[in-house]
Amino acid sequence: MSTQGTISSLIQTIPAPARSVTVLRAGGALAVLGALLSALGLVFTDSLGRLAHGYLLGFSFVWTVCLGSLLLVALHHLTSAVWSVVLRRVMELFASRIGLVAILFLPLLIIAYVGHETGMFPWLTPEVAADHIVHGKAPYLNLPFFTLRAVLFFAIWFLFGKFFVGRSIKQDNTTGDERSTLLMRKLSAPFVILFAFTITFAGIDWLMSQSPLWYSTMFGVYIFSGMIVSALAAITLSAYKMIDSGRLGQGIINDNHIYNLGTLMFAFTVFWGYIAFSQYFLIWYANMPEESFYMVQRVEGGWLNVTVLLALVRFVIPFMLLLSRRAKTLRSRLIAMSIVILFGQLLDLYWLIMPQIHESEPTVGWQEIGPVLFCSGVFLLTIGSFLGKHKAIAVGDPLLEKSIWFQL
Amino acid sequence: MIESGQKKVGLVGMFDDPNTLIAAAKKVRDSGHRAWDCHTPYPVHGLEQAMGLKDSPIPTITIIAAFTGFVSAVVLTGGLNAVHYPLRVGGKPLFSWQAFVPIYFELFILFAALATLVSVVVYCKLLRWHSPLHDSGLMKEVTGDRLAIVLESADEEYIEQTCRPLLEAAGCTDIRHLFENTDDEPTI
Repeated sequence: MSTQGTISSLIQTIPAPARSVTVLRAGGALAVLGALLSALGLVFTDSLGRLAHGYLLGFSFVWTVCLGSLLLVALHHLTSAVWSVVLRRVMELFASRIGLVAILFLPLLIIAYVGHETGMFPWLTPEVAADHIVHGKAPYLNLPFFTLRAVLFFAIWFLFGKFFVGRSIKQDNTTGDERSTLLMRKLSAPFVILFAFTITFAGIDWLMSQSPLWYSTMFGVYIFSGMIVSALAAITLSAYKMIDSGRLGQGIINDNHIYNLGTLMFAFTVFWGYIAFSQYFLIWYANMPEESFYMVQRVEGGWLNVTVLLALVRFVIPFMLLLSRRAKTLRSRLIAMSIVILFGQLLDLYWLIMPQIHESEPTVGWQEIGPVLFCSGVFLLTIGSFLGKHKAIAVGDPLLEKSIWFQL
Repeated sequence: MIESGQKKVGLVGMFDDPNTLIAAAKKVRDSGHRAWDCHTPYPVHGLEQAMGLKDSPIPTITIIAAFTGFVSAVVLTGGLNAVHYPLRVGGKPLFSWQAFVPIYFELFILFAALATLVSVVVYCKLLRWHSPLHDSGLMKEVTGDRLAIVLESADEEYIEQTCRPLLEAAGCTDIRHLFENTDDEPTI
């Protein structure tokens, strides 16, 4: 068999970059619709607080998908993975959106400075700050330090994102530039360590501090586990979409590559279940009032339904339906599970954020849906333009041929 | 060569190249012969598909055992702590499922692992102690540098009429008989 000939003819099928009109249209429509719904919600209910929390939900959603992908890129380099070379550009596609995520964060920063009446970051309001426990946290939870941390987080993510994606794109015009690959491999190790710290503290700052009396030492890992599984789901969905549109060439991505995505999705679903239950379990068992009120809030009234639904869509359904070996390469199953997992991520964030303002009953309205659509829409818009500039497969990677030939 | 106390139980085709083996395996698969296997000293990619191997039943056994373990754990913890020996711990309800989740999980895993171990032993015929490949002196070769297709059949006419032409058509030049010891003494 002439392997060499087959592979170079496969590489020939990777098309030149072209803007994705579908993605641009969908993104534009979602963004406009989202902005419209948010505005309507604001006009008719006049609740800035709900809109602000909805915006936090939308922001957190794109933030987790983007950053989870960036971590996957770094993990790819760190482990010198071969199978993911053909799919790495799809990960880079999301990871490169970190600049946009930083811009989307700005409204939250503005709310932190001038929007006390929205109820966001409650530790900023004088009544809450006067609380004995919150007062003890003041050396960490104060506005200047909060801003500094946010700037630091985005600086780290942005610089590494730019480095990983930029180097990879630069490689496209070379014939197997090994130095870039080795450099990325080297720098992925410090990034993974920095990632662990930044993601933990960002999770504490933006999500956990919405309930300033509460604390959980597992919160960083909890955010991470949800982040990585939703990034994998987004990557799987995009990979299928891009295979269908021919963007990933003909016959380059096969079941061997897809199987790994399915396996990782399954593994991190189990990981999320493990982390989420551990967090709940320890708080339930210790039964300390300063910790347990957070869980009590979420199992009372209508929130109990949300909690049960969360356990189902985030763990039980993906676990059962991704368990078998065949399921991990079954197109319809993987697409369905990716959608379920992404919905689960939204629900998870909703479950974390919303009990602060809807204390008795979970509520979904334009103010929640609007910002989520808006953030996702803007995210998709910039993805569409990225596709117009760069090939959808890292054609300059020295391991590309090996990756196409990859078998389980 | 055949020795006393041995009988023919099949035909072996020896190969040197995994690609030829895969091509031959496809031919055997399509011929409809049932009792056959490939022996290779290392994993050969694509051989499973070439042999047309069906999914192993072991995953099904594992999942059934796992849920048996899960149900056992629910009955065990609930039955003991809430029914037969009601003991209130930490002011929590008698049947506090949260507290028992680690046990549900452990028994789920334990049953699954043990069932898998036993079914692997059974399905890989590890209780057989010996194989005709040992008796024919082929084990050394197929664990060294050669690959083999083994067609099992006790019917000598069938072997000569069907199996031998099949292997020859597949490009095999080294075809041998497979022997099994008829006495109980295993030779290694």
